[in-house]
Amino acid sequence: MASLIACPHCGPRPKEEFTVRGDAGITRPAPDAGEDAWYAYVYLRDNPRGRHKEHWHHTSGCRRWLVVERDTMTHAIYTVTDASAEGETA
Amino acid sequence: MADFALLHRPALADAKSGSFGAPSTGARITLTALPEGHVMHVLASRGSGDLTALIPRIGDGASHAVRPYGPGQWFVIGDAPLAAAEIFAKTPLLEGKASISDQGHGRVRIGISGASVEAVLAKGTAVDLALSNFPVGHSAMTLIGHISALISRTGPESFELLVLRGFAESLWDELIQMSLEFGVDARTGK
Ligand SMILES: [Zn+2]
Repeated sequence: MASLIACPHCGPRPKEEFTVRGDAGITRPAPDAGEDAWYAYVYLRDNPRGRHKEHWHHTSGCRRWLVVERDTMTHAIYTVTDASAEGETA
Repeated sequence: MADFALLHRPALADAKSGSFGAPSTGARITLTALPEGHVMHVLASRGSGDLTALIPRIGDGASHAVRPYGPGQWFVIGDAPLAAAEIFAKTPLLEGKASISDQGHGRVRIGISGASVEAVLAKGTAVDLALSNFPVGHSAMTLIGHISALISRTGPESFELLVLRGFAESLWDELIQMSLEFGVDARTGK
């Protein structure tokens, strides 16, 4: 697991200060999208190897939601942005 | 009516006090339980823009009264206790662009100073506390060990820590431990 996350508001911080929510790429279905779409949204996740975008919450810092793009194999961090800046809050 | 009178007792009233650790060096640490005055948590409304100039209006005018720690989030702190009505009366000063929540009951301040203060705090947090990166007046919310705290620099060799009341004594004890190699004088005000 990547150990230093460069928060755009707080600077580099250890991963212990963050809470990982998971895949930032999924979108919330419409309320009437049906059981299958909602089941997939709530329970089903890919387990990618390589570049992956996730929502991380800076719980013990600025308390902002961030989008962290990291490599699940090498632990490299590519980008960290505020989730609202990208309009990617689910 | 309450069956018994509630007693306000400072969070660090019964904490360890005295001198601990190495006999005097030039780098001794001083820990001070600071007055439980007012602690206001201020949150900006959505899309209210840059409020840097607005927030000091609700403070007491002292240096370091306003402590920013993230986008649209501040603590405004001072030594004087404020009644709920006094805090409520400050709301119009923010012109509807931010809201105030009284945290005076929930968070307390610890002062820590001395020539080795950066080295002591670095045992608990990953934040770079070098004066060039963390100048006087700067604040950061972070973890000290497992305890969440707001660190603010009040001088070249002095900081204040704002910590949840229930964790204050635990952090106090940890700070004494972290300071032992330099020697530490812990002052609870008793
Ligand atoms: Zn942050």
